[in-house]
Amino acid sequence: MTPAVLAALVGAALVGLGLYGLIVHPHPLRKLLAFNLVGSGAFLVFGMVARRGAAAGLAFDPVPQAMVITGIVVAFAASALAVALVLRLFATSGRVDLDPRVWTRPDDDSSTS
Amino acid sequence: MIDGAETTQGGDLLVLAVLLPVAGIIFSFVLGGRYAERVSICLAPLGLVLACAVAAAVAHAGKPLAYAIGGLPPPLGIALRADGISATMLVAVAIIVSAAFLYARAKFDTPERIKETRSALTFWILLQAVWAGLTIIVLGGDLFSLYVALEVMTFAAVPLVCIDGRPETLVAALRYLLFALVGSICYLLGVALFYGSYGTLDIALLAQKAGPNLVVWVAASLMTAGLLAKTALFPLHLWLPPAHANAPAAASAVLSGLVVKGSFFLTLRIWFFILPTLPAVGPSTVLGLLGSAAILVGSALALRQPRLKLLIAYSTVAQIGYLFLVFPLATGAHVWSTIGWSAGVMQVLAHAFAKAAMFFSAGLLAESLGHDQIGRLKGAARALPLTFVTLGLGGLSLMGLPPSGGFSAKWLMLRASVASGQWIWSAPVLVGGLLAAGYVYRILTPALGDGEITLKSPPQRGREVIALALVLIALALGFMPPGFFDFIEIGRPLAAGRPA
Amino acid sequence: MNALSSALLVATLAAPLALLAACCIARWRTSALALQWLAPIPGFCVGVLNLTAAPSSVDLPVLGFTLRLDPPGALLLAVAALLWIVASAAVWRDRSPDARFGVSWLLTMTGSLGVFVAGDLVSFYLSYALVSIPAYGLFALADDAARKRAGAIYMAFAIFGEAVLLLAFAALAAGAPQAGARIADIVAALPDSPWRDATLALLIAGFGMKLGMVPFNGWMPLNYTAAPIPAAAVLSGAGIKAGVIGLIRFLPLGTPIEAAGDALAVLGFVSAFVGVALGLTQRNPKSILAYSSISQMGVIAAAFGLALAGGAHAAAQDLAFYGANHLLVKSALFLVIGALAAKGTRLRGWPLALVGALALSLAGVPFTGGALAKLAAKPQFAGAWASGLATLSSIGSAWLMTHFLAHLDNSPREAAAETPPAIVAIWPALALGAILLPWLLYSAVDDVAKALQPAALWDGLWPVVLGAGLVLAQRRLDWRLREIPVGDGIVVYEAAFKRLMTLGPGLEAADARLRQWPTAGVLFLLTILALLGAGLSAR
Repeated sequence: MTPAVLAALVGAALVGLGLYGLIVHPHPLRKLLAFNLVGSGAFLVFGMVARRGAAAGLAFDPVPQAMVITGIVVAFAASALAVALVLRLFATSGRVDLDPRVWTRPDDDSSTS
Repeated sequence: MIDGAETTQGGDLLVLAVLLPVAGIIFSFVLGGRYAERVSICLAPLGLVLACAVAAAVAHAGKPLAYAIGGLPPPLGIALRADGISATMLVAVAIIVSAAFLYARAKFDTPERIKETRSALTFWILLQAVWAGLTIIVLGGDLFSLYVALEVMTFAAVPLVCIDGRPETLVAALRYLLFALVGSICYLLGVALFYGSYGTLDIALLAQKAGPNLVVWVAASLMTAGLLAKTALFPLHLWLPPAHANAPAAASAVLSGLVVKGSFFLTLRIWFFILPTLPAVGPSTVLGLLGSAAILVGSALALRQPRLKLLIAYSTVAQIGYLFLVFPLATGAHVWSTIGWSAGVMQVLAHAFAKAAMFFSAGLLAESLGHDQIGRLKGAARALPLTFVTLGLGGLSLMGLPPSGGFSAKWLMLRASVASGQWIWSAPVLVGGLLAAGYVYRILTPALGDGEITLKSPPQRGREVIALALVLIALALGFMPPGFFDFIEIGRPLAAGRPA
Repeated sequence: MNALSSALLVATLAAPLALLAACCIARWRTSALALQWLAPIPGFCVGVLNLTAAPSSVDLPVLGFTLRLDPPGALLLAVAALLWIVASAAVWRDRSPDARFGVSWLLTMTGSLGVFVAGDLVSFYLSYALVSIPAYGLFALADDAARKRAGAIYMAFAIFGEAVLLLAFAALAAGAPQAGARIADIVAALPDSPWRDATLALLIAGFGMKLGMVPFNGWMPLNYTAAPIPAAAVLSGAGIKAGVIGLIRFLPLGTPIEAAGDALAVLGFVSAFVGVALGLTQRNPKSILAYSSISQMGVIAAAFGLALAGGAHAAAQDLAFYGANHLLVKSALFLVIGALAAKGTRLRGWPLALVGALALSLAGVPFTGGALAKLAAKPQFAGAWASGLATLSSIGSAWLMTHFLAHLDNSPREAAAETPPAIVAIWPALALGAILLPWLLYSAVDDVAKALQPAALWDGLWPVVLGAGLVLAQRRLDWRLREIPVGDGIVVYEAAFKRLMTLGPGLEAADARLRQWPTAGVLFLLTILALLGAGLSAR
């Protein structure tokens, strides 16, 4: 079990744990944390892809590393946007709940919000 | 040098097409205030001209345009490519986004004595960002640029849903964002697997190298499922109805008409351009079945909605199902695949224009009447004739009655399903048409009946004309010459012959 | 085709479309609608000019449509155009119906004329949709519950028929990949198509819905009872002939196809007798006429079926004549109902004889156009069974139409108000025209002298006498049939529809559950696995 394989397995486990968290936890902030966990797992997988793709003379393939950096930026932007939405939701309504049934107004006779 | 690795003649147009909306964003942000609106309105016709120029260049060359960024060809650098379907989508995006800009001027203008309002500035910048994201999606030549473009488009679309700041829209936007993020992270995992196996992400290179092994299947499944979540295909449609129904009308039009088509476009890229030689009958059937379920469930739910905008949103869920019928009907190199491909592209275009027009009309109706409850529309057609003509003609395209692009798409789908011996796919197409007739009937019949309606405010003629223009384009799509169907085959691997 | 005919053929569609375009401008709308009676004139002219000419086509450049005129089509076009001219002129002469009625009328007219000249699949489908769907606006926009129900049922059958026909057309096109878009070429390839039987079944079902063949007959009585008199006249006259021209165009009559032909013949005869039986239970003259239409269309369908089974190519012209005669007579009968209701006096003397001749011409009474029609259709009913059944249906028709005459003063109250004054004034001319006009057109089918031979005259007379006698016997025995609600079998469809609607709340609840995160998330993972499994299993 080389470190590379171990790291890749850890990455896969993180993805699995993150997906579980995304599905099961109802609170948006927890979902966001779970998403970041999945992201970290994906980036680990990328890192190990870099290790595998190393050409002669280099320890790691630089292209997946560039992709990881871009991915981190994207995940950061996504988290910032999500947090901003959660904060704004709390500020305007005093509660944070993703269940649509909670937000159906009494005069709205449809079951969807 | 492989095909599409070097910059071809006309390739510079592709860079201009990408830079135009991005430049618009930068100028809007820097100049701020009411200049954001002016920059958008100025750039819209330029974008349309560029899109037409790209289409003309592709038609003239008969093969895809390419541009190697920085002069570095793949696999070292990345390329922009425009084939038949890219150019078509580029023109469609330019037209609908321009129409959205013009339509939204009334609602998102900055009032006279105020320097800058948050919602106006944000709206114009976000709509240009959606435009930029869509441009890169249709022109991008490698999987990672497409990932970035997908994210740009999603992050620009999410705040558009909640731009009015009400709690319900914030919840809808949050659900959209979180579900879209699930989708994109699965897409990214697939990208990692592709790179790990083949060392490149360029579409043309991957097409040469990819074969039917376990890693490719896992990667393709992950990426497709991720994109299905972003396209809101049944049963992953949880975010779409509230998001599209509660956004402002101009935003809904772009969201329903273009944003969901962006992720669908990537699904086409994966299965028809990277993996066309794979024995993909199984996954095509799975996608076809999900599409059929979407058509039936989406239309049935649309029949039960009390609000007009929700009905139109559920209709989008159903029409997205039609898009995925292209997979069983066009996969492989059969003689009927061309008909299936034409059907899919025609459905993308017809739905984009018809749905955008319907959302514009629904927005006008809601503003004029103060509500969009279908039960209170009795006699409304007399008060709002032009709006209801647009809704009626849009409904015509959704039902698939001639003359319209929707009919063309339905006709091609039925011909492909019969010619390929897969009669089963004609059932959801026909039943979907019946159900669509049902919900269009629900809207139009009370409106055309006798009844007096008082308007809160008269509709603005200019905005009605914009909606009518879009729906007339949807109708005109029914008369496309055979040359159009040859055009959309340019650059597609396994394209064989043209539809009869 | 010479230049004049080509120009007139294009004008057949161009004229109503130009008026439609004019309706878009509010200022011109009233005048455009008032001038509607001018629009069918090119169609009438080109129909008359081409009654015996060879079939010829015109290809329209930009739209990609083909227009085609052959003798059966020309015959039906000419009489349909005449009906539209007369009806439009009468309706718009003294009053201006509101714009919704007017635009629906114009759209239906466009479709009705277009259906007879369309030469390729798409333009035929478009015309068929135009003749079926806008007709809703002719009667169902009022605030009346009965009319709304009739309208909803009518739309359901129209849209369902369109869907079935679309699949049939797709199968036709797929079975003839080299044939291009023209209907004539595609249908010529049908007997050799691998999906021949399915295609024929779909075509028969689709056009059968329009013709009111059993089991799709429930909408017609509801429709004609609810529609105002002028609308009922054009719909029962020109509207359902779209089904007739459909059978003419799309059945490959040159090749004998036994199974489909026999099936169509059976359905046709069943409709013919069911129509008579149900019509005898009705009291409202409009419903009686509706059931008579069902019966007559059943006869035409049976004739088509026998022609298809026998491979008789010439049947098209004969049955087009039968359809043309029915168009004239049925629309005249509806207008007569309205005129007599407006006049209010009891029928006696020569008006009674005139109306009687008109009504019984459907049964083939001598010296009327109906007798000619019966003679024209006779070659199809050549076999022993067929000729016997045809005779029985003549007797049935005579019985039904005499029953109609007996209930003519039972018209609904609104019929008087709905009928335009011009029609009330000239109704005898209309009735006489409907009886005599087919004599002018018969030269397109066969020799007129044959119709005047004693054998032919007797052939037409005795079923009528028998049928009329049955009505008298019915009265003498005081044998009244219990009145069945208009639309008979429709209640079965409505009950089934209600059952289907109960799925709605269940579906909505299921969707609400699907839209919960845990369910959606699990389904997401299952989608990945499904795609993966499907891909790996193919290796």
